[in-house]
Formats: sequence, C-alpha cells, structure tokens
Amino acid sequence: MSSVSKYFSGLFTGIKSLLTGMGETWKELWTKKVTQQYPENRETLEISERFRCELVMPHDENNEHACTACGICEMNCPNGTIKVTPMFIETADGKKKKILDTHIWDMGMCTYCNLCVITCPSDAIIFKNNFENAVFEKRKLIMQLNQEGSKLREKKKESKPTEPII
Amino acid sequence: MMEKIKKLILDTVAEAVIEEKQKLTVTVEPKKLHLLVQTLRDNKTHSFDYLVNLTGVDRGEELGVDYLLCSSADLSKEVVLKTGTSDRENPLLYSITDLFETAHFNEREVFALLGIRFINNPDMRKFFLNADWVGYPLRKDYDPNPELNPVSIESKDMVDIAPRILETSDGKLVEEFVNIFEDDDYIINIGPQHPSTHGVMHFRTSLDGEIVKKIDVHSGYIHRGIEKLSESLTYPQILHFTDRLDYLSANINRHALCMCVEKAIDIEVPERAQYIRVIMDELTRIDSHLLAWSAMTHDLGATTAFIYGMREREIILDIFDKTCGGRLIINQNVIGGVMFDIYADFQKDVKAFIPYMRKKLIEYDRFFSHNVIALGRTQGVGFMSKDEAISYAVTGPAGRASDWSCDIRKHIPYSLYNQVEFKEILRKEGDAYARYLNRLDEIEESLHIIEQLIDNIPQGDFCAKTKAIIKLPEGEYYERVEAAKGEFGVFIESRGDKFPYRLKFRSPSMALVSAMPLICQGEKIADLIGIGGSMDYVIPDIDR
Amino acid sequence: MILNYSQPLEISNLTSWFDQYLRSNLSEFWTLLIEFVLVGIFLLAAYAVIALILIYAERKITAFFQARLGPNRVGKWGLLQSVADMIKILLKEIIRINRSDRFLFFAAPFFMIVASMLTFGAIPFGKGLQAIDFNIGVLYVTAVSSLGIIGVLLAGWSSNNKYSMIGAMRSGAQFISYELSSGFALMTIVVLAGTMQFSQMIEGQRFCWNIFNGHISSIIAFVIYLISGHAETNRGPFDLPEAESELTAGYHTEYSGLQFGFYYLAEYLNMFIIASIATTVFLGGYLPIQIQGWDAFNGIMGYIPSYVWFFSKTGFLIFLSLWVRWSFPRLRIDQLLNLEWKYLLPINLVNLLLMVILVLTGLTLKNLFGIL
Repeated sequence: MSSVSKYFSGLFTGIKSLLTGMGETWKELWTKKVTQQYPENRETLEISERFRCELVMPHDENNEHACTACGICEMNCPNGTIKVTPMFIETADGKKKKILDTHIWDMGMCTYCNLCVITCPSDAIIFKNNFENAVFEKRKLIMQLNQEGSKLREKKKESKPTEPII
Repeated sequence: MMEKIKKLILDTVAEAVIEEKQKLTVTVEPKKLHLLVQTLRDNKTHSFDYLVNLTGVDRGEELGVDYLLCSSADLSKEVVLKTGTSDRENPLLYSITDLFETAHFNEREVFALLGIRFINNPDMRKFFLNADWVGYPLRKDYDPNPELNPVSIESKDMVDIAPRILETSDGKLVEEFVNIFEDDDYIINIGPQHPSTHGVMHFRTSLDGEIVKKIDVHSGYIHRGIEKLSESLTYPQILHFTDRLDYLSANINRHALCMCVEKAIDIEVPERAQYIRVIMDELTRIDSHLLAWSAMTHDLGATTAFIYGMREREIILDIFDKTCGGRLIINQNVIGGVMFDIYADFQKDVKAFIPYMRKKLIEYDRFFSHNVIALGRTQGVGFMSKDEAISYAVTGPAGRASDWSCDIRKHIPYSLYNQVEFKEILRKEGDAYARYLNRLDEIEESLHIIEQLIDNIPQGDFCAKTKAIIKLPEGEYYERVEAAKGEFGVFIESRGDKFPYRLKFRSPSMALVSAMPLICQGEKIADLIGIGGSMDYVIPDIDR
Repeated sequence: MILNYSQPLEISNLTSWFDQYLRSNLSEFWTLLIEFVLVGIFLLAAYAVIALILIYAERKITAFFQARLGPNRVGKWGLLQSVADMIKILLKEIIRINRSDRFLFFAAPFFMIVASMLTFGAIPFGKGLQAIDFNIGVLYVTAVSSLGIIGVLLAGWSSNNKYSMIGAMRSGAQFISYELSSGFALMTIVVLAGTMQFSQMIEGQRFCWNIFNGHISSIIAFVIYLISGHAETNRGPFDLPEAESELTAGYHTEYSGLQFGFYYLAEYLNMFIIASIATTVFLGGYLPIQIQGWDAFNGIMGYIPSYVWFFSKTGFLIFLSLWVRWSFPRLRIDQLLNLEWKYLLPINLVNLLLMVILVLTGLTLKNLFGIL
C-alpha cells in the first residue's frame, strides 16, 4: 500500500512543482524586460564615472598638460603598455631640462589595472569612461596621449617660461 | 600543544630540523618525509589530515617541495614540511599521493614546472604542459627562448600512456608505463571546446553506454604562467594577476595577496578599508554563487534559469563598476587598503539590492529548487563523503556539502570576519543537490554579513600610506582566505627583494576538478555535466 | 448548415470554383494533374512559411520568458529575422566530413523532412483545406511521422562522431517509447469518436469537443498526448538527443548549411504537426466554438473562418509547448524512460479501458446530455 501511495504522491507533488515553475515563467512573461538596447540608448546611457576605458592625458585650454616625463607610469606598468619618450631642451638660463616628447599608450596591451594613474606623482593621466574604442586595425590601438604642440603646465611659483615644443 | 607536535615529529624523525617561522616549519630528508606525513596524518590527538598546499620551489642549491598541512577539524593548526633534493638532472622525491589524493595533481604540476618526479605516484605525466615541452619553467635557469617550444599548428594524437616510478619492496626503483584506458574503451572528449566545461577543460571520458567509466583530466590549455611572471614583477604589479585567477572571486583573491604582503611588512589597514573590503568580498561571493547557480541550471538544461541568474548578477556588477571602474576584473584592493573609496550612493544601492536578492532567492526556490526534474537530476548524484572531501582537499560550498566545516572565515577569521555574525552552512548529503542548496544558502548568509556592515562603515582613510617600493623581508609567508569556490591561498617566498622569489597560489578549483573522476564514476554522462556544474570550478584558477 | 456564416471567407470557395473552371475546360486527366501540382506547391510553400513563422514566434516568446527582447534588429520587431536566417542557411557551405558514410549522411536529412512533409498532407487546415482525407487518417499520421526517427538514427550513425552517435541512440530509445504513448492516447479518442477519419472526427465534435465528450478519460489522454508528442519532437525538457550542454548538438552536430536547415525546419514542423493533430483530435479541429441551443452565439462564432480557428487552436497548443520547454530542466535518459514506462504507459492503458467503459455504458457527455 505504501508503495502505491508513494507512487501517486510522487506523481502529484511532481506535477505541482512543475506547475509552480511554470507559474514563475508566466509571471516573467509579463514583467518588463531588462534588456538594454545599446545603440538606441546611447543618449541616455549612463557609464559610471570611474569606469576605466581609455587612458587620457588631460590638457587645459592652453594646450598644457601636467606630465613631467618622469617615466614612473612606464616603470609601474606590469606589461609594458606605456612608453614615455622624454626629450631634453635647454632653458633660457642654460640649464638642461627634461620634457615630454611622446607619451604612447597601447590600448591593446593594457590590463586596466590603474597602477599608472595611482602612481603618477603629478596626476597627469587619468582613465576616462569613453568605452566606444573598437577599431578595425590593431595599430590604431596605439595612441599618443599628449597632444600635438602641448607643453608642461607651469607651476605657479616658477617664473621662467619654457619654450613651446613643436 | 605546539610542544606535543614537536615531540611527535622528533620521535618519528629524530634528525628533523624544526624552526618556528610564521608557521611551524620542519625540514626533513626526502626518504623520511612519507613516514613523517603519515604519522602526522594518523596520530589521534593532532591529526594533520588536510594537505592545503604543495609547492615546488627551486631553492637554488636544491629543488624542493613545501607541504602545508593542517588539521581538518581546526584549520588554524598548521605545520609546514620541507624537503628537497640537490640532484638537478634527475630529481626524485617520494610521493604522498597514497595519503592525500589531492597530492596527485599537485605533484604532477610540480613535475611539469620544476621537473621533480615523485616515486610511487601512480601517474607521473606532466600536468598543464605537453609531454614534449622542453625545460621546466619554474626553475631559475629556465630558458624561455620561444624557439625551444614553438607554437605548433599540427594536431597531435592524445597518448593515453602514463609513465610512473615505483619502489619495489626491496628498495629498487622501477620505471614503467601504464595505459590509462582499456583497449576497447569508448572514449569521448568532453572539452577542451565544449559548452559545459566552464572554460577550456578537457575530460577524456570512457563510457559504457551512457555510464561514465573513467575520467582522465587534461588541463593547461590556458595556462599563463602567472607564478613565473610574478617572479619578475613588483608586488603592486602582481596584484592585477589575482583578479585573473578565479575571475569570479577576483576581489577575494586580491584581498588574500594584499593581506599576505601587509602582514609581511606590518601595515595597519584602516578600518574603513577593512569594511569596504569585506562588503566587496561578500558581494563578490554572491556574484560568484549566482553565476554558479545559473551555470548549473544551464548544465541541467534550464536555459531560462540561467538568464534569471545573470539578471540579478548584473546589479552587483553595476555596483562594482560604480565603485572601482571594473565589472569583472575590478582591481579594488591595493596594498594598504583599497584603490577607490565607495561612491556616494554605494550604501543606498547595496541596501536596495539586499531585499531584492532575497525576493529572487524565493523565486529561484520556486522555479528550480523543488522542481521534480531538477531533484531527480541532482539528488543522490555525485556523492562525496567527508573523508573523500578532506583527502581531495575539496573546500568551499562543495566541501561543506559533505559536512566538512572548512570555512576559513570561521576557522582563521581575517579582516572583519570575527566581528560579524554568520552561519557556516553545512549539509550531510554530499550530493550535487546539497552543493546546489549550499550556494543559495550562502548567498543569504553573505547578504546577512553585508547587512551588518553596510550602515557602520567608519569614516577615515581608505588606504594606508605605503613606501614607493615595497620589499618583503626574507622569509616565507602564507595567507589563506575563503574564496567563493573554496580555500584560496597565497604563498610567498621572499629573499628580501621587491620581487617575490617564489609565489604560489592555492587554487580551490584544482581540488574540485581533481575530485571529478571520483564522484563521476558510475554516473550517467548527463550527470557528469550536472556534477561539474555543482562543483563550480573555474578553469583560469587551475591554469594559473 | 453550420459554417454558413463564414462561407464568403472560406478558401474552399476558391478551390471549388477553380476545380469547376478546370473541369469545364479540360479533360479529367489534365484537371487532376494541374490540381495535384498546385496542391503540392501549396503544401511546400505552407511548409516553409509555417516554419519561418514558428521560428520567429518561438524566439520571441522564449525571449519574453527569459527577461529578454528577442530578435528586434531585422525589420520591425525583428519580423524578418527568420527570413534572414533562412537566407544565411541557404548560403552556407555544406561541409564534408572525413570518414563519414557519405551516402547515408546526405540521405538522413531527407528522411526527416519527408516524414514531416507526408504528414502535412493529411492535416485538415480548414474546411475543405485537406489534401487527402484517408479513412484511416489517424493511423496514417502516426505511421508516417515515425519515419523521421530513421533520419535521426542515420544522421547519428553516419556522422562518424561519438556525440552524434550517443544522441541518435538516445533519440531511438526515446522515440520508440513515446510513440507508444501517443499512439495509445490517439487510440483512446478513436474509441470515443468511432472513426479514424479526420473529417468525420471533426464533424462529430460539432457541439462537444472530444476533450469534453470523454471528460476524465479524454483529458488524461490529451495531457498524455501532449507530453509524448512533445517528447517525440525532441524538444526540452525532452531534448536529450540534442542536449546542448552535454552533446553539443547531438545527432546533427556535424551538419551545416541546408542540411542542418532541414533538421531545423523538421523540428519546428513536427511541433506544429503534433499541435495540429491534437487540435483536430481533441479540440474540434477547424470548427468554431459552438454551443447547442445558443444560435446567436453560434452565429457570431461562425463568422470567423475555419482556418483561423484551426491556426489559433494550434497556436495555443504551440505556446503551451514553448512554455513547458522554457520552464524545465532536461530529463536524464533513465528518468525519461521511467516517465514513459512507469507513469505514462500504465496510466494510458488504464485510461483506454476506462474510455471503453465510458463509451459502452453511455457515460460520455454527448450521451448524458443528448448533444448532437
């Protein structure tokens, strides 16, 4: 007898559990969907402030940046993504000075660990949340961060102007 | 207690050298190691029956192995055994596979990476590497010239023959070859490209109809040599690798390495950072368990459930990316604290998530946990006893489903875990269903932990000041944490440099996979997939 | 008398007018030839179009069950998605597999598609929209649709792939088991209806569908038929032969391009066929909802053409099948066979007996309430 009742109770609890499951999908059928439709929602899309997508060197309105070409970011990068090339110029008073020639960042190699940004002594580079970086050619992933003709931002206590670098 | 253990060790092996470093460290010669391990394992009072870590080290003058043993009843009782051989041409040590099953894969890994072969290991093939790989990567004199090991695009046949070295009763060493499978076995390759291996895993499976006869695990398809790479990087640089081990426990892994370094150089981590770390750890755990739940339901054929799990996980990922700019690889912890302070609405978002997740847990229960088909597919399937779990070092939700209390958060409380209240979920059944339920219950416990912390985050710094160049004093450092999949461990051997001399990660997934051949034997092939889902291993964690 | 109201919208007007037109102008032979060819073309076209619609519907409904939106890029609401997919599948290369049994490998998809196509001819889509009305229609449909399994077995065997082989073997076991149940379930209704001819069966359901007529027994048979029909179409939770997470794609792993397309089409069409047979046998086929004595109501219902009734009933059953498919995990092979041999078959046999008793003792609804 017990096996018979087990047979039927098994059957009915089984059916009940299946119906409960179907109830859940039924509810979902009428729930608002969570899918975001990307190119359409570009205008309203909110990418969080801190999202690390692209390394940039902020330039102010005078086309000046804060990079002193010290190379600490290059040293700290775990896999050689950054290449800082300094150049030496002679200042007005005859001293030799190291300034930035090119700051190259290879997006294709970057692991986005943020070490370069947190170790930079002059806060010259930051990660921006512009995520639309897909390109068709690999070489386009290698970017120069300092703009053409940019120069080092003067600190206020310094008085001697440096020559613009071309 | 310490004295008793010392006495026991000296009674067994009189010439053993005992040092008290971070842990009790014992150095013995290779021949005596097996005896010592056996005594430590089998003694009644302080049974060291859990092999946490087996690390091969190239010590320069000798090639050695470090064993970290601890007691399965109290994980904080630890002892480190060391042995080594100065023969670099044909280094041979004695295997302890007969005492700890988990030693099997670890010894094979040591053979592949350091070239030490283990006498009496039943299957001495290289793990991770092909048999014809030239050189042993973790040796200090390894030649990384790519011409020695060119990338081949030719397909190679699998060779199912394993060499091994056995010691006969009269002390002679015999080298022999054994066939893994029988000649007329019907073998299918589950992986390396397969929808349900959760990564690039390769199970060579011999079948008898629908029933699994034997599984041979091949791994290493995505081995990246993280441990070798780390030997030439500074500690802050190494941090970014930890996120890429078990990417689902990214934050917890990173926490472990940070803590290991912080303890070694005595940095006090600010309270605020501790809070942030623990909250993020628990969010990571929920994230990982949600993915495990989804993946397991998908393995059992319920695609809809998979997407439901992903839907909830997305909310956690959003919190992550607002906090630290990453979704999967989140780079939050740094040595001394955390990289980013929490954002303004962090507490609000997390507090909104907690009741939402609770509601969804009920939905999961209704949708899947009591479904008669799901019950039939998981209950009584893939049974693992407590002894097996300990022997195979299966920790985490899977180990706790076999009634082994192995939560590091309880046994060796780190960070804030001694200040929060939570239950360790234990189940006695040891089957796939118990592992499945354990994860859902642990999500609830994690929510409970977060609830206790989220309103009390103290003000203050979120990162301590550290030196520009971090050098660890000479010594050996272990750190163990509870990652989502089980016990995650970091071992650093430092020689006073800014680089580690040897860095080893104990990966929980490797232990989980090593138990697969055991618990899948005699089950149906469909269950092999389901059991894999219930074990929830992540391949990059194995292929470090 | 009954379908008078919808008469102007019925396609059978067109067909009978066309028939008369041909007969008045051509000899018997040519009339028949032209009609046969046209019917053939019509069926083939319907076959393809229904499959495309079903594929789109399934993807969309599945998405809604899964908190997604489904296809929405090709055309408005993704309406042209399955057309685009069809074009893609037609353009894809058919890959030759090393060391496969080439003849059987090529032949297998045809078995599959021919089996489901043959069934198509016997389905009454609407009043007068049935290619051939056998007096043993039920038997014919059951017999022909089971040919498809040969295609599955051959595919698994000839692919030289172990996954395919396991999938095919599972499929064989599954199909043979569930064919029994579905056969018995239909048999139960044959007992009730007293005929095997679809047209007569439908006429008999004018005021009382078979599912109501045999009450308990019919409902059990209906549920069993749906379950076993679902299993025969190899769709989740019975999709073991394909078992994506275990066998990658089961028996059709090695197929590509049009050959894969055949399997894909056949899968959806089989779903449609099962649903349409269930409609015909249990739910009154193309007949509208009619209640004896409510003439006004019957009149309103009668305005809707018969094929609309047929397709909406079938569509409902297909939705049911999708709902089930996307709610449950997959069964294991032993559970699958358990379900059949431990539950469905014994229940079915008892049910058949019950139906015989119901009919003999006059306990059917028609007899009890004197419905026509």
